[in-house]
Amino acid sequence: MLEPETLVFVIDDDDSVRRALARLIRSAGHSVEVFASAQEFLAEVDVDAHPACLVLDVQLPDLDGLQLQQQLGATLPIIFLTGHGDICMTVRAMKAGASDFLTKPVRDTDLLQAIEHALESANQCFASRCERNTLRQRFNRLTPREREVMALVVTGRLNKQVAGELGTAEKTIKAHRARVMTKMEVTSLAQLVHIVDRAQILSAGDNRPSA
Amino acid sequence: MNMLFPAIVFAQAAVIVWLLMSRTHRNPTTSPGGGYGQPDLSDQIAGVSGSRFRAPSVDTRIHTRVVARMADLFATSIPPGTQPDQPVECGQKDIKETLHKTAPGVHRARHTPAGRRHMATLRALHRVLSDHRGSNSNNESITQGASHDGLVDDFRNLWQSLPLAVFMLGGGGEVLAANARAETLFGYEDGEMIGKPVSLLVPEVDDPRSSLWRKDIPSASPGRPSEAARRVVARRKHGTEFPAEIVIRRSFLREDTSTLAFVEDRSDHYELLRNQQDLAHLTRVSTMGELAGSLAHELNQPLTAILSNVQAAQRFMAADPVDVAEVREILNDIVQDDYRASEVLRRIRATVKKVDMESVPLDLATVIRDAVLLLHSDAIVRETRVALEICDDVPAVCADKVQLQQVALNLLLNAFDAMSQVAPKDRVVWVELTLQSDNMARIAVRDCGHGLTVGKLDAIFKPFYTSKPHGLGLGLSISRSIVELHGGRIWADNNLDRGATFYVTLPTGNDTGNPKSRY
Repeated sequence: MLEPETLVFVIDDDDSVRRALARLIRSAGHSVEVFASAQEFLAEVDVDAHPACLVLDVQLPDLDGLQLQQQLGATLPIIFLTGHGDICMTVRAMKAGASDFLTKPVRDTDLLQAIEHALESANQCFASRCERNTLRQRFNRLTPREREVMALVVTGRLNKQVAGELGTAEKTIKAHRARVMTKMEVTSLAQLVHIVDRAQILSAGDNRPSA
Repeated sequence: MNMLFPAIVFAQAAVIVWLLMSRTHRNPTTSPGGGYGQPDLSDQIAGVSGSRFRAPSVDTRIHTRVVARMADLFATSIPPGTQPDQPVECGQKDIKETLHKTAPGVHRARHTPAGRRHMATLRALHRVLSDHRGSNSNNESITQGASHDGLVDDFRNLWQSLPLAVFMLGGGGEVLAANARAETLFGYEDGEMIGKPVSLLVPEVDDPRSSLWRKDIPSASPGRPSEAARRVVARRKHGTEFPAEIVIRRSFLREDTSTLAFVEDRSDHYELLRNQQDLAHLTRVSTMGELAGSLAHELNQPLTAILSNVQAAQRFMAADPVDVAEVREILNDIVQDDYRASEVLRRIRATVKKVDMESVPLDLATVIRDAVLLLHSDAIVRETRVALEICDDVPAVCADKVQLQQVALNLLLNAFDAMSQVAPKDRVVWVELTLQSDNMARIAVRDCGHGLTVGKLDAIFKPFYTSKPHGLGLGLSISRSIVELHGGRIWADNNLDRGATFYVTLPTGNDTGNPKSRY
């Protein structure tokens, strides 16, 4: 599978600042997409499609940086840039999960380091999101009975115990269990336990196929 | 300005009376030579200053003409109006009638202090004339010589006590006579000015571009509108200069002409003007202080762009091969951002600099756009939008750019303040520039804030009136003095729906009502 390209989004209402920042980020080998306003960004970008981070000016007309952060939640790491940030603004941004908070004019090393750091966590997030999606796809292939069997098997119960709890024959459970292992693409019980844990498939009573 | 005209007219009248007296004395029968600066006339004028002539008799006919002439002169500067409220003490019916008939409007001037003063002087003059003439015609035993001597002395006193400097000039612009006030004002000794060129006192007279001294100097005759006083720089004997107003008139007296120059010291007026400008400057600096934060941001943007561009260029240069096209583009951008930063600085400096007021043709649209640009960051921080509706056909106005920009800034900031309680999406200031009439431009600044208290629409322009917790209450009062100084008008009105609109009208084209740049 081809690795999707990492992206750096830049939102700044000032044309020349936007161009300069884009150049600087591109000079470090990143792909950059620029936007003049938060609305433009929201309208054009699918934040789940790429591992990406956002370089965001705080003072924007209409929807400002902090409001955009609220709307985006934790979908991508945000590096804030501001001309005159105060402590209050910084605290708000960091509490809401900002990756970094830098002041203009910004030194190239500071900005690029912050971007590296943000992209690293974006890549991790993206990888685990991909993994979770894959596992969920596999899980979606299971029948309701197979899900029940899997839920009990991963808690360490023997086939016999599972059969007792579900009120069926041990042989039937064995067949279900073999199909679970095949559909989930694992070869050992240990692997099954691991991926179920990683993908948190069975958390919060989630044992039905998701949409 | 208003005070100057009655004084000038009066002075002119006095001078004419004097000339008539002296003519009667020197050569009552022969016709004088035409043109001013004739030897006989100069002698007479010199006599005015040098106290060496004596008039033996007064001719009744001339006497009546003098009064008529005086009355005419008054009538040229004061509109016709009411009858006098108290009769002038006068022994001679014809004089009184002449005066009343010819210049009924003179008495309207008594309502102003200056007017009252001139009225009193006029009455005194009238009395002098009447007394002398009365005694002359009623009592033949009194010698005419003694009677006329008194009259001449009285006029000499009047001439000397006139409250403004009066010069009588020869054809080459040389001073033939100057009164006491003129000598004091210009720092000369008694009689020392005689023969000196008037350009020594008012250098502008020599300037070919100035139309001060020309062949067709207007005379003050009945029915002719008074010519505006000219603002000039006058020079004292010891070289110091002062602002003054000058009126140059030609006076016809039978076939004789003489040129009279009336000079009034305007130092006080300009000092007041300067104080007003100092105050305006202080409030501009204070406004800039309030805007410091947003202006710093305005400078920070190009600096940010320049730094990032330079550092990007350094990285591109380190790469192999060097992307020359990219670096070239970066350099272009850096140049532009540098210009942009210096433009921000220029606007700030232009606003806070302390210079003498100057009157130049200005495009009001540029003035408005500059003010809006200065407030660009402030508007973003306050989440306020500024919408411009500029009519392109508005001709230039003659004005001081910094001061008009101050008015625009003030009105915009007031509009911003008025909308602080309004929901951000509704915070819009509309600025409109239109041509109200052929020679009047109008700026309207409309907000949608809380509006103005009805009944306070005039009070807001008074000094120290403020509705803001931290306001000085000077912004609008200074704006008003600036607008009025430029011959315009400023007022406010509540909008029909919400908020208020401030209007400023300014005359377009050449406006001569502006003070000279030096003062």
